[in-house]
Amino acid sequence: MTDALSPTVLYHCPCTGAMRHSDASNEPAEKRSKHSYDTMQSSQAERAPVDSRSALFPLRVSTLENLYYCDDCSSLRCTRCVVEEPAGYHCPNCLFEVNTTSVRSEKNSCARNCFQCPVCTHVLSVVESSEGERPFSLSCAVCCWNSREIGWEFEKATGISTQIERLRAAEVAPREYSALLDYWRTVQRVSAASAAVGAGSFKQRLAVPSIGVVPEYKAVEGSSDTEQARVADLVALENADYVSYASNPRRMEPQRIRLHMKLARRCCSCHHILIKPMPKAQATQFKIQLMAANFLPTITLPSRVSLKYPQQLLEGPFAVGRMVPVALRFANPLYTEMKVDVASHLSGDARVDVAARQFTLPPFTELWEYDEDEDDDSSSDYNASSDQRGGIVDRHGNRVAIQLSVTPLVPAPNLVIPLHITCSHIDDLVDGEKDGSKSAGRKVTDSFWVYVVLGKVQ
Amino acid sequence: MGRLLIAPRALVCKSTTIEGDVQIGNGTVVHVGASIIARNGPIIIGSNNIINERAVITNKHSTPLTIGDDNLIETDARVEGRGMGHRNTIHVRAKVAGTSTLGNNCVVGVLCTTGHADNIPDNTVLFGSPQSQRTRMDNPSEYLAAHRKHLEYIHEMLPRYNHIIEAD
Repeated sequence: MTDALSPTVLYHCPCTGAMRHSDASNEPAEKRSKHSYDTMQSSQAERAPVDSRSALFPLRVSTLENLYYCDDCSSLRCTRCVVEEPAGYHCPNCLFEVNTTSVRSEKNSCARNCFQCPVCTHVLSVVESSEGERPFSLSCAVCCWNSREIGWEFEKATGISTQIERLRAAEVAPREYSALLDYWRTVQRVSAASAAVGAGSFKQRLAVPSIGVVPEYKAVEGSSDTEQARVADLVALENADYVSYASNPRRMEPQRIRLHMKLARRCCSCHHILIKPMPKAQATQFKIQLMAANFLPTITLPSRVSLKYPQQLLEGPFAVGRMVPVALRFANPLYTEMKVDVASHLSGDARVDVAARQFTLPPFTELWEYDEDEDDDSSSDYNASSDQRGGIVDRHGNRVAIQLSVTPLVPAPNLVIPLHITCSHIDDLVDGEKDGSKSAGRKVTDSFWVYVVLGKVQ
Repeated sequence: MGRLLIAPRALVCKSTTIEGDVQIGNGTVVHVGASIIARNGPIIIGSNNIINERAVITNKHSTPLTIGDDNLIETDARVEGRGMGHRNTIHVRAKVAGTSTLGNNCVVGVLCTTGHADNIPDNTVLFGSPQSQRTRMDNPSEYLAAHRKHLEYIHEMLPRYNHIIEAD
């Protein structure tokens, strides 16, 4: 899978699946980042959490768009380390919302007119024919199956499910099923009662009259032998290949359409809600949506940085021993300034020099969306020549492009360089007062690993 | 050029491709962009058929290609074979290929194809992917009722917005 990746930047989620505390990198973000950053500054000795050549690599990294961010525990969350819970049920065909209590009583299927064709699983529609006192039937537009073939005809066009229930009430099998259900409920009740008595004192046990033994279950009258023979025929394993569905018209009954559910997603460690969809079945929006792209800098590999800096910065092909400059562009999604530290990691594959280890990302402003052509005034206070000496090749709006010097050391089908990113900003929202500090801000630090996939080394 | 015979109550739009010996029956509608090409033998289309946009009917054989009554040939469908009976539906992008024939009340589903030399019996439905086949048991009168309504609507609306070839 890694072979097929085009030049891209992948983010590492520190989880190990759905488990909570099995990874050392799951310790609190602030502590971890401080610790790791110090060590990296001094020795660059910290190992990247995943080896890019391992088979697990594609499972441990993903693009930023597919990641969530828990702002309570300040850490990345991927689809494998979130807890999912139902946030509403609806029928995918008629979009009718079913409340949670009736999902069970309706056996998790649509209780209205939605049925699947028994032949081709297409949705059936209610059609009316002019003759007969039961003019309505279900019909499939794809394979022309009609419920008249199995004798299903209806008086009304609405509430087909209840009409079918009424048709079925006369049949033996459902009656047998409900009788069995009643019987086992009785057994359960009696055994629970006797267990409760058994747990009580000897005196209590004496006081309670002996519980009547549940009478043996008797089949509902009318369940014929042919029915049993049919079932026996169906379950005979040696004939399993030859069970003919066509000879068994009951098999051809349309099934009610299964309900779908909308899922809410929570952080696995603090149960903070990350994704909460709108309850309405038609709505595609989300009430809460904590995507990582809204909190962490978006890192991209631009093919060309700016007009001022015209040469191509991602030059291929990579060859062993040849130093290639690679530009990385950081974009700040926040409305506050963000400080970014980039640390490279010593690996056997390539030597990576980061000239701009620390820089500041200007805050995001909607205004920049409009005047793309205008050379931004905000960055004019930065000295362009000192920028270039410091490894920063472009500034525009909330984006900063830095230059890496990559020297591949061994041939590889796909060169991947791990980088450790630490970014911090002052959260100027309400949290400050809760902490009791005088200033309104709270410093939020996020640190995470990214993997820059560069391509083939010859 | 062969001769084109259009019955008095047929509706044939001007922007259609009609080549060779073609006969179009009463009440039949040929939409804009449809092609009816009689390469060798003639094409004889019965009454009350609907031939939709971009549908192609070609006769490559020397024998006549006969299309019965009340057939619906949907958009971008291809009819090559040797003919069909009555009340058939050829769905969108379906194909009646080679020298095959269709009986009555048949349905060739969306993107389905008949075998090259099949004679499809009455009431057959070809549907799905991978293609399957079954025999329909419903009453053709329901199809006919819907088809009549469809025709009635087209006969009213089509001449308002399209140029129609005048019948002889």
